Amino acid sequence: MRRYRFVLFRPFQFIPVLFGISIITFILVRLIPGDPARILLGTRATPTAIANIRAQYGLDEPMWVQYLYFLKNLAAGEMGKSTLYKIDTLKLIVTRIEPTLALVVAGVVLALVIAVPFAAISARRQGTAADHAIRIVSTAGIGFPSFWLGAMLIILFAVRLDWLPVSGYGNSLGDKLLHLILPGLTIALSLSAVIARSLRAGMIAGLSSDVAVAARARGMPESVVFWRHVVPNALVPTVNLLAVNIGWLIGGTVVVESVFAVPGLGQLMVRGIFSRDYMVVQGVALTFAVATVLINFLADIVTVALDPRVEL
Amino acid sequence: MTAHLDIDGLSVTFRDHDEERPLLEDVSLSLTRGEILGLVGESGSGKSLLCRTVIGLMPSRKLYVTGGSVRLDGTEILGRDMGAIRGRRIGMIFQNPTSHLDPVMTIGNQIREGLSRHKGLDDRTAKAEAIALLTQVGFPDPPRAFASYAHQFSGGMRQRAMIAVALACDPEILIADEPTTALDVTVQAQILRLLMELRDRRGLSIILITHDLGVVAQTCDRIAVMRHGKVVETGEKRALLADPQHPYTSELIASHPSMPHPEDTVTAHPHDRSPVFEIDDLDVSFPVGGGFLTGKREVRAVKGVSLRIWPGETVGIVGESGSGKSTLARAMLGLTRVSAGEITFDGKVLTKERDKTLRALRSDAAMVFQDPFNSLNPRLTIGQTLAEVLKTQGETPPDQIPARIGDLLDLVGLDRGFARRRPRSLSGGQCQRAGIARALAVNPRVIIADECVAALDVTIQAQIVDLFRDLTARTGLTLVFIAHDLAIVRNLCERVIVMHHGEVVEDGPSARVFHRPERPYTAALIAAIPDINPDRPLNGGQPLTRQEYAT
Repeated sequence: MRRYRFVLFRPFQFIPVLFGISIITFILVRLIPGDPARILLGTRATPTAIANIRAQYGLDEPMWVQYLYFLKNLAAGEMGKSTLYKIDTLKLIVTRIEPTLALVVAGVVLALVIAVPFAAISARRQGTAADHAIRIVSTAGIGFPSFWLGAMLIILFAVRLDWLPVSGYGNSLGDKLLHLILPGLTIALSLSAVIARSLRAGMIAGLSSDVAVAARARGMPESVVFWRHVVPNALVPTVNLLAVNIGWLIGGTVVVESVFAVPGLGQLMVRGIFSRDYMVVQGVALTFAVATVLINFLADIVTVALDPRVEL
Repeated sequence: MTAHLDIDGLSVTFRDHDEERPLLEDVSLSLTRGEILGLVGESGSGKSLLCRTVIGLMPSRKLYVTGGSVRLDGTEILGRDMGAIRGRRIGMIFQNPTSHLDPVMTIGNQIREGLSRHKGLDDRTAKAEAIALLTQVGFPDPPRAFASYAHQFSGGMRQRAMIAVALACDPEILIADEPTTALDVTVQAQILRLLMELRDRRGLSIILITHDLGVVAQTCDRIAVMRHGKVVETGEKRALLADPQHPYTSELIASHPSMPHPEDTVTAHPHDRSPVFEIDDLDVSFPVGGGFLTGKREVRAVKGVSLRIWPGETVGIVGESGSGKSTLARAMLGLTRVSAGEITFDGKVLTKERDKTLRALRSDAAMVFQDPFNSLNPRLTIGQTLAEVLKTQGETPPDQIPARIGDLLDLVGLDRGFARRRPRSLSGGQCQRAGIARALAVNPRVIIADECVAALDVTIQAQIVDLFRDLTARTGLTLVFIAHDLAIVRNLCERVIVMHHGEVVEDGPSARVFHRPERPYTAALIAAIPDINPDRPLNGGQPLTRQEYAT
């Protein structure tokens, strides 16, 4: 249990990290050229109307005052009113979080479903045709950009074969799952390639390791040697790789959500950027940051659970 | 009666494209039921390969069995399905338990795995049986050991755990591949006794692979000596040790460090000049652990050590792993921060005039490291390595550097042609000679050698020890020789310092310390050295000490 004590203490470290992130996103958003009031009102707005809007959203105040407002709102459970959607950003994020979360989970699960058997096959049949074929597919998976891959999947499975919906998110659970397959697959294909390569390397090292030799010398059949001794040891480094990639992925859903018109955080972010909706952009950025921090925290817990030697 | 295991004319060849090299040639051996057969040889002699071939686990796909047979109880097993033989009939334990035990699986589950596979026990019965086994191999708290992982134990307990894991499959024959090489002498004695005890209790037949003739003399019934992939001599232990037939066996016996060297009684140097090193009440502590909101702990590696080292002396510092001997050496050279106390080198106080003393140390003291390969830069030739040191030191005029390199190579007994070679193309012993040449390049008055022969074969060890003896005699060098191997220190050093838990427990002339140790710890340490004379039995291996069962 002593090894899990960090679960209690680690969250305190998040506080300065999140403060830092909030300041950086706050400043960066305001460095984007353009004026939200002008964009909101269009090109023909009168200077007084613009000034009114700016006053209404606090945009005429100095930046540090705006930041303090932001913190004050945050303490009250608000993220500031979106200039585009006219409601509080936090409420907006809460309604958009589910599709993104579902998309990331679908992507990761599908990636593991693809990666683990692929890695196992290529590690155990190293140098055979199967290994080469898997490597070519993996390299292609890393190489194809997701916007292109997504479009190709839509053309094949939604347009030509008409098996799956083209885009959107759906309402009932079954409908949602159906809608998640193609965007999830788009994410999974590139993610699985990265995971499979790391797993394969770990498994190959494990198959010739002393642990495996000792297990064979005890008369364990090759399947036991592989699944009981090699795989658990190979998983440890992969967990951290996965955590880093999920961090990337959360930012990366922006593209996939646009291609498949999934009403998630990524799409909200894109709209927010185009309309200089400061509140939305910084709110979503902060949400992404919190998610990344939490995922790495989770990865640490999983690592400790998988490897008894690790102390954090 | 047929032999339990009969190896007859076994040959193994390495084959890669056009290259073909025989690794085992016409090896014949037989193991009688219930006997311990010692398989002795230096690295590369093929002793491990032989055993791996027997259980069908050859380390590379480029190895081929080209002839011979292996019969278990009269039945040919070579090339047969080994699934039912490995573990169940022939078990194996290895030199390095840390890498051979699964780090992410509890010891208990690794034992249970064998029990359920080979004996078909259900989980509950298997657990009870596993705990019985852990008791049998000497764990003081078997239920706790059952739920522990390998990294929670010391090296000796890990080796016991690996023995328990192998015994879980209930083998008739146990192949032990250098099972005690990585262990301290007292722990080695315990493990060897455990193996003998298990042989008696379970009727095991054991093949014990080792490079140490002392281990063989103490534990085995018969000995087989291997060299260059051939068995050069086999015979009953006493007969073979008393009257070796093959010259290589004689050489092995002669280089065993437990044999008193003719020049054993090195005359002690007079302590009339001022000491080279003066160490007073030295403490070295390291912070351990410590994170956010959690406190740091300190480990005191060296506790209140005081000693003097006189010019021209050859001093051995011995102790088991964790005794603080290497930390002491590093502190003496200014490579580790000192927590308290004073180190004086040549009249300069390291702890006060740090820069000045360090400058003196760098030009007058040199260190030789344990790992001869990794302490040489693989990209530089030996000549370049030496030239670099000479240029940095700046005392040799540039045009004389090549001549000086030649002199240095002569001094350490390497052919001058070695100047153009890289470490990769050198053997371990040659690398260590190059490392010593590098240390000598600065013309040091003191050399500190940290376990510098531990990684070498016995005959090479003997050569390096001879080299040091020769150098100290010829150049008046002061040598501080750190080793866990007491026998080597006894052969080489005029004075011995014994360390235990960071403290000096004994300090005196070798002859006195080894013959009449004053402290019980020293006596136990000496008694645990496996002597090559079978009639001087293994006496070490006190009951488990607290650091043995460390969690």
